[in-house]
Amino acid sequence: MMNTRSSALAVLLMPVIAVVMVQGALADPANGQSGSAKLQAALADYRRPAKVPAPKSNPVTADKVALGQALFFDPRMSGSGALSCASCHNPGLAWADGLPKGLGHLGGRLGRHTPTILNVAFGEPYFWDGRATTLEDQAKGPLVSSAEMNMPAADAVERVQSIPGYVRMFSQAYPGQPITIDTIAAAIATFERTVLSGTAPFDRWVNGDDAAVSDAAKAGFELFNGKANCSVCHVGWRFSDDGFHDIGLSSADPGRAHIAPGIVQLQQAFKTPTLRNVTQHGPYMHDGSLATLAAVIDHYDAAFVRRPSLDTQMHPLNLNAEEKSELLAFLDSLTSVDTPVTVPVLPH
Amino acid sequence: MRQIVWALGLGAMLTVNATLADAPLTVTQKGLQFSVTELDAKKGQTVVFVNDDHTTHNITVTGDGNGVNVNGGLQPPGGEFRMPFLKAGTYAVTCGIHPKMKLTVVVK
Repeated sequence: MMNTRSSALAVLLMPVIAVVMVQGALADPANGQSGSAKLQAALADYRRPAKVPAPKSNPVTADKVALGQALFFDPRMSGSGALSCASCHNPGLAWADGLPKGLGHLGGRLGRHTPTILNVAFGEPYFWDGRATTLEDQAKGPLVSSAEMNMPAADAVERVQSIPGYVRMFSQAYPGQPITIDTIAAAIATFERTVLSGTAPFDRWVNGDDAAVSDAAKAGFELFNGKANCSVCHVGWRFSDDGFHDIGLSSADPGRAHIAPGIVQLQQAFKTPTLRNVTQHGPYMHDGSLATLAAVIDHYDAAFVRRPSLDTQMHPLNLNAEEKSELLAFLDSLTSVDTPVTVPVLPH
Repeated sequence: MRQIVWALGLGAMLTVNATLADAPLTVTQKGLQFSVTELDAKKGQTVVFVNDDHTTHNITVTGDGNGVNVNGGLQPPGGEFRMPFLKAGTYAVTCGIHPKMKLTVVVK
């Protein structure tokens, strides 16, 4: 839906005109729809959903959330006893780690940048290469990976069973079910489904508050959906199509092609990351190779590597300095001021 | 590539039987979704996948234990991919680029 409209916006809107249209003063003679109506229609595609999805096999309950939160923050769930899920998905760093590439077992450098888990309930498939189709599967991955938390499934179960407080919490959260790596992962996934970005200035604009964002941000929104072509992949309220694209980074990592071979466009393709709270979870890209959002915009403008797998939507943008500034202003409007996270007292 | 050629070969076979088969069914891809999530087809019937999005898609079809595994390659905006379903069974159809796009085709 967004893509169709974004193309129309690209043709019809120039940034200066767009500001006027925001004020509802300009009609679009080409199709009879007012500029304001078109803008409102475009904004509507970014409206936040009312409900957070969860699988029927693992509905959210307060007991599961409490259990999952404890497991998420518990370094005893790692082989070294030093790493928890929160070591890399740090709520103080927008649920990422602020590093180009994550640090795993005994400080080993991991192969890819740690993505934020904000709004992850909506974001299947998971990992940069999409190898996990459910959040429950994703939660298991880093736990048992020898490079990451290095906690084999049997050891994780044994560790949890040795802590009476966890045994009680499991009996409340999953009554009648044994403690297994699957129930451990299900609890962590349930907690992760509660990790949501709050209301950003952009959301207030979407909901009708014209003063919520600056004119520069509004112009940036038009560019985002038009000349800069960002919305072809960064679509919807989370600004992600949950798809896989080669955007021309120089990394040799095969990405999605390792999971889904046979499609040239998936060579060196990685999942489109969310842009929610994007100012807070740099550095950027799957390899953490771009330190700032300005560098990201420069990359898309012209700095990408041309190769057969490059996504067909990648082309030089010819953005000027003012347009880049406006895009940055728009991206800044996507960051919410969230309630501080309480780290739980862990069970004993 | 061999899979694509194989699919094209099936398409050629279908043209021979086209007059005998039911009319093709059309599924569109728009807004990163298939126009339907479930589709019933008759054995030998072709499904035409039409990309009405502004982004490139892909059609990957996997049969449930019947050996069918077709990768339609890149499907540009406006492009079509025609897939004849020659064997009865249940097929999972997805886009390799946007795997959230899912469709089940039941062929009887």
